[in-house]
Amino acid sequence: MTYLLEQAANGIGGTDGLLFWVFAILSCVGAVAVVATQNIVRMAFWLVVSLGSVAALFFLMHADFLGAAQLLIYVGGTVVLLVFGVMLTASGHTIKVQTSPAETLLGGGVGLLLLCVLIFAISTVNWADISQQIPAAGDSPAIVDAREDASLAESLSVATTPEAKATAEKALAAVEARRQAGRTIRQLGLSFYGLRPDHMNSSANAASAPGYLLPFEIISVHLLVVLIGAAYLARAKRRVTPGSGTDL
Amino acid sequence: MGEVGLEAYLFVGAVLFVCGVVCMATKRNGIGVLMGVELVLNGANINFVAFSRFTPLGLDGQATALFVVVLAAAEAAVALAIALNYYNNHLTIDVDRGNELQG
Amino acid sequence: MDFDLFSVVQRSIMDPQSTGEVLRTLLTVAWLLPLCGFVAEIYWLRWSHRLSKSAAYSAVACIGIGFLCSASALVYWGVQTNWQALQATEHGEHGEHAEHEHAEHEHAELHQPADAAKAEAAAHAVDKHEHQQAAVGEEHPHEGNHAVAPKFYSGSFYKLAQFGSLIVSLDWYIDSLTLVMFTMVTFIATCIHLFAIGYMKDELTEEYEDHQVHTSHGHFTRPGRFHRFFAYLSLFCFSMLGLVLAGNIFQVFIFWELVGISSYLLIGFYIERKSASTAANKAFIMNRVGDFGFLIGLMILWTWCGTFQFADVGAEPGLFTMIRGDNGNGVMDVSEDGQQVFLHDTHGHRLETDGKPSSIGYLLLIAAGCGIFAGCIGKSAQFPLQTWLPDAMEGPTPVSALVHSATMVAAGVYLAARFYPVFTPEVLLVIAYIGCITLFVAATIALVATDIKRVLAYSTISQLGYMMLAIGVAGWGAGLFHLVTHAFFKSLMFLCSGSVIAGCHHVQEMPQMGGLRRKMPITAYTMLVGVIAISGLALPIVNIGFSGFYSKDAIVASALAYSNANSVHMLLFVTPLVTAGITAFYMFRLWFLTFYGEPRDQHVYDHCHESPLVMTGPLMALSVLAATCAWSWCLTSGSGEEGPLYRLISFSATVPADAAITSVGPAHVTLPSHHDVHDVHGQAGVLALLAAVAGSVFAYLMYGVRIINPADIRRQFPGTYDFLVDKWRFDVLYDAMFVRPVHIVSAWCAGFDKKVLDGILHASASITMVVSRWDRLFDENMVDGLVNMVGNVTRSIGYSLRVVQTGRLRQYVMWIAVGVVVLFGVLFTSMPR
Repeated sequence: MTYLLEQAANGIGGTDGLLFWVFAILSCVGAVAVVATQNIVRMAFWLVVSLGSVAALFFLMHADFLGAAQLLIYVGGTVVLLVFGVMLTASGHTIKVQTSPAETLLGGGVGLLLLCVLIFAISTVNWADISQQIPAAGDSPAIVDAREDASLAESLSVATTPEAKATAEKALAAVEARRQAGRTIRQLGLSFYGLRPDHMNSSANAASAPGYLLPFEIISVHLLVVLIGAAYLARAKRRVTPGSGTDL
Repeated sequence: MGEVGLEAYLFVGAVLFVCGVVCMATKRNGIGVLMGVELVLNGANINFVAFSRFTPLGLDGQATALFVVVLAAAEAAVALAIALNYYNNHLTIDVDRGNELQG
Repeated sequence: MDFDLFSVVQRSIMDPQSTGEVLRTLLTVAWLLPLCGFVAEIYWLRWSHRLSKSAAYSAVACIGIGFLCSASALVYWGVQTNWQALQATEHGEHGEHAEHEHAEHEHAELHQPADAAKAEAAAHAVDKHEHQQAAVGEEHPHEGNHAVAPKFYSGSFYKLAQFGSLIVSLDWYIDSLTLVMFTMVTFIATCIHLFAIGYMKDELTEEYEDHQVHTSHGHFTRPGRFHRFFAYLSLFCFSMLGLVLAGNIFQVFIFWELVGISSYLLIGFYIERKSASTAANKAFIMNRVGDFGFLIGLMILWTWCGTFQFADVGAEPGLFTMIRGDNGNGVMDVSEDGQQVFLHDTHGHRLETDGKPSSIGYLLLIAAGCGIFAGCIGKSAQFPLQTWLPDAMEGPTPVSALVHSATMVAAGVYLAARFYPVFTPEVLLVIAYIGCITLFVAATIALVATDIKRVLAYSTISQLGYMMLAIGVAGWGAGLFHLVTHAFFKSLMFLCSGSVIAGCHHVQEMPQMGGLRRKMPITAYTMLVGVIAISGLALPIVNIGFSGFYSKDAIVASALAYSNANSVHMLLFVTPLVTAGITAFYMFRLWFLTFYGEPRDQHVYDHCHESPLVMTGPLMALSVLAATCAWSWCLTSGSGEEGPLYRLISFSATVPADAAITSVGPAHVTLPSHHDVHDVHGQAGVLALLAAVAGSVFAYLMYGVRIINPADIRRQFPGTYDFLVDKWRFDVLYDAMFVRPVHIVSAWCAGFDKKVLDGILHASASITMVVSRWDRLFDENMVDGLVNMVGNVTRSIGYSLRVVQTGRLRQYVMWIAVGVVVLFGVLFTSMPR
């Protein structure tokens, strides 16, 4: 809580900060709207808003591959799937199933309590100390980036000659270009083979660390199996129940 | 530069998580419950990515998040199939009607 | 005194060993043939049909061949011994022989070199037939032709088992008595078999209707049992012949029981009739009573003598040698205080065990003798156990004939005679009195009996009493003489009565007959022969009579000699004398009632007819023998006791009666010698003849010409008459003595069972019930309560927890959230950080 107040005191703080706040608020509002809305189709819409904001937050955290995957899979796949589900199951009287106000109230209360507990827990932890305790770690990517940015800015500011200034600006541009090129895709790909570019400069070289290739393969097969299973489960069955009609 | 740190992302993740849980707890519509699950998973994902960004763990968090996303997709597919079958059997999507597990 | 007739074949006696074997072979064939017949006939229906007479022919063939074998054995024996039995008849001479009969001679001389060839032959025979252990009694290898024939031949067929020193084996013992018995039994049995072919022909049907058995559907009907009847007959003959041939007392016992079971089967032949099955049971049970005594005697003898053998086996002495010694005078070797009888070995010495002479207590010997005689009482229907015999008339008449003449009842007399050497004078006295009582009682009952077969049955008992009496008064030969003659005329009379019954269509009551001699002359006159024979009638002065006259004469003479020697036992002479008259009376009464006078029942008379030849043929054959079997074969010798039959029998007497023997036992009787008997012979003969004539005349007066009305006499002695009709009330007496006490005791036992034992049982049962009720309460309340409590608690907890399990998903999610909150709250508040 104190941090929030601190943030508010410091102002929004830069483009990144502004974007963060926008998308953070958007995602939170979307999530709350999903809870609050009674209409299922609207819930789906708010869910799209919330998930899309989360994808944006991923981009902000330089997890560009994950962000893209989030957009593709969630917004493009899962939510469409959900909407299909809504379409298949919604038949007028079930499109809006009211929750009793008492339950909503109870759910809200418990949710608030849970939120308080979580915020309390998050805010009581000194995350910097925790980071230091992680054995295989060097510095976090955010700190590395900041350090790079600081050294580039410093070289830019100390550059008196135009040549030096040009060199500094070129370096800055190179860094920006590298960042824009989506380094996480390549890094993630390498990490699947056990190569960790983010840990290259750390003392504990994790060359022998296990890669994610096997889990990746497993999860791909898993996804295939699940899709087949889903198709099997969801296949249209001819129900013969006289009197109840054929709703499908 | 931005002072947005780890905790800010964690707060967002917490809000999404709580919203997901409340959604699961209050929605009588089965699809709504599924949406709550998606919210919960996204809250967790924000946390993973945040830890990946702001702690020396590095790409581990992102890789986990990736798996979570895929699993969530799989889960959504299966859950929707289940929901459809449920609807076929009960002619409704109201999860309160499915109380066969009552003791 | 040599007979010219036999001097032709007189030569040195052949090897006794081989003679014995030939005799054994012949008699064994005669013995085993009926067994083969039995086995074949019992399964006759397997290869023949019910209407076939072939089973009967097979049985007749078996027994007929048996008769031929027996007869040829008798002749062979006679030839081999130069008919010495017939020559050695002078009383003095017998004693002379006895003087020579010292076994020491035999054993000493047998191995002398002078007689080497003979010994070699004997040894060879022994080698060849080692297991047979053939032995001969009293060999006398004198020089020259004057060898004395052995009295008996014996040996062993097969050793069944050996328990310690007890040897159970199948032995044979052949002497002249065995041979005569074999010939007699097989001859009579052949006649009866032939007769039965005719008599039993109404069994040759698929549906025999038994008029005496009533069922709800009228008379009882069953398939005919012709073949089975002859199978039983064959078994009967086999058993009897085995008994006669037996060489040890145990074997005798086995065949004794076989005879019993055969008679049981035959008496109960019409098993569906209640009376028949009861009679069969009665005969069997009565015999068991006697056999109990037999077994006791057997055990005593075994315990003290250690052998069952009659004759010596090698150096092992048999029973006769042990008891009587071998000193030839037939006197038991009694100790001075009269308490012990010393046992002897084959050399005439006293047997010794551990340096002391082995002996048997005198009283024990009496007990053994009485025990064995008890068996004879049962078998021969003597005084206390006589009631089964009249009831045994329920069997078919040929069975009665067989049972009463040659087999069953003869077995008892035969055994008593065979065991004569073991009987002390006291036992003989018991035998004499038992016989005396029996003959009188049975004869008096026969006076009033009206059933033709029952009269004959009582006469049989009476005649058996005569035989027992004769044995008891030391008239050994006389008793067996009477056994043989009686067998002939009694089987004749039974077959005649069977002929009458068959002719009159199963009418047996004499008051319904009368005048039948005109309808069935052959039966009537053959019957008359039998009647005259049993009555003992003879022509005076020339002294020629039918066989019964001679044998009864001999018995009465023995009895007179005995009572002369022991005046206390006068009754033993008077009773048979009087009974001789009674016998003549009731036998002639039977004949007159049946065949003489006018028919009393016109219906019966009209329908009766003479029997066919297959029945009358045996009657004629038997009547010839019944009349003449005691006669001399040639006129040069006398009849009766000088006749060949008597001589043959008495040749095998094991206890020579050359001198009077006075008992040293408690009874102090004196057994008369041959001389004593001979001296009173004429006197006794006259008295017996007078009695018989008196009885016959009386019967003629009453039933022949009817001068005296029997009804008047009956009215005059009503008590006596009823007493006799009730058979001296023996059945009533036994009922009161045995049956009713048993009933009372068993009622007591039943009461004891019901009151005491059942009470104890019930008490224990109710105690158990009370205890178990308490146990049940404990179980139900404590054990079950505990278990139920656990169950109930679990159940109620489950019920209360069940509320939580609503089955609603959203609630579960809510609980999870609440749980997380509470958990965190607890963690944060309780764990200081």
